[in-house]
Amino acid sequence: MISVQGLIKEIDNLKPIPQIASRVMKMSEDPECSLRDIADVILHDPLITANLLRICNAAYFGLPRQIDSVQDAITLLGLQKIVDLVLLKCCTQALGREQRGYGLHEGELWRAAVASAIIARKLSEKEGSQSRQLIFTAALLKDIGKVILDRFVADSFRQIDDYIRNEGLSFNEAEKKSIGIDHAELGALVAKKWKLSPKMVYIIKNHHMSDESAKQDFETSVVYLSDTLCMMMGIGGGVDGLAYRFYDDVLKRLNITEIDFQAIMADFGENMQKLDELLEVCE
Amino acid sequence: MKISNDPEATLVTYSLGSCIGVAVYDPAAKVGGILHYMLPDSGLHEAKAGQNPFMFADTGIPRLFKTAYQLGARKQRMRVVVAGGAQILDQKGFFNIGKRNHVALKKMFWKNNVLTDYEDVGGMVNRTVKLEIKTGDIFIKVSGSEEKKI
Repeated sequence: MISVQGLIKEIDNLKPIPQIASRVMKMSEDPECSLRDIADVILHDPLITANLLRICNAAYFGLPRQIDSVQDAITLLGLQKIVDLVLLKCCTQALGREQRGYGLHEGELWRAAVASAIIARKLSEKEGSQSRQLIFTAALLKDIGKVILDRFVADSFRQIDDYIRNEGLSFNEAEKKSIGIDHAELGALVAKKWKLSPKMVYIIKNHHMSDESAKQDFETSVVYLSDTLCMMMGIGGGVDGLAYRFYDDVLKRLNITEIDFQAIMADFGENMQKLDELLEVCE
Repeated sequence: MKISNDPEATLVTYSLGSCIGVAVYDPAAKVGGILHYMLPDSGLHEAKAGQNPFMFADTGIPRLFKTAYQLGARKQRMRVVVAGGAQILDQKGFFNIGKRNHVALKKMFWKNNVLTDYEDVGGMVNRTVKLEIKTGDIFIKVSGSEEKKI
């Protein structure tokens, strides 16, 4: 078994997300911070401003005129969308690469992260949640642990697969048994290292509900559900497939009925092409 | 849904999850198609089915066959391969969309006397289906395994 300590050291080699992203993430979780405060931070970062203008001027957004300032972008698209785009842009690099161990081509982990974040945002809006930005970001980053665990999964795949087939373990349970840590736990360590909030760390750690208490937590439940829906739609489907546990009590607690469940899939299925266009402009 | 009689065409539908991929091919007409549907029944979402009938079994499957017929395919000659319909561990009842997607297809095929030549359905794996129009060869790839010619 690989030493978990050795694995944790790998976190230091992971290029951290840009400072602007962690700042915007923290601010968006702080109830004292207004969207206006966040806009100020974005406006003072020339690199992200340049990127934002390029993204917002893409045909995807169909804006009526060329925009040349972040203020303009905020007026036309709304600050919420601009914050989302900053986070999307900042996480592209961390999640964009091929993950061979998980059987994901270049961009697939990233595509799944964005799809999950969009679904999680919709669900949180439906529930009238105050922590929409936290949920969006947690859904986006929940699989960051896969980026490090990838080559260890590649080395241990036979054993992981055997545990799933013969012992009825889920993929993350099999990862833990084979490697000593699963991608959710490792992702939480990355989030901690990046000094993300304790709540973000908690959601990432429990996004497969390894801890029974997480089922009671609204934000974790929404991220869990969005991940489940992505798996079912085959988004980001790699060697782990759908080998994760399904908890219908989480759905019941969120008041998600069979009809809601299907309606979310149908809504998203309709917009799949839009997702690919969005990914293209954020590259 | 993709249908073709272009010998140079290769039709692929990736990463099915709980969705179902249906590949049909008539070797005489050299016409083939693949449908990738996501949900069993359009009844709950009629407006969406009007815009995108391929998302549902009950509206997508008839279109797959009818469009293939328009290009000269005949039911009695057609090869039919079905893949997908995976489920999450412990997924039961109404939320088991993979299983319900497969049941919807079986019912329609039964009613319309369609026999499948090969099915690779269920489990917890992701599948990709590929069809080469020139040869009619159909391939299924399960993530983590080699591609298999059916």
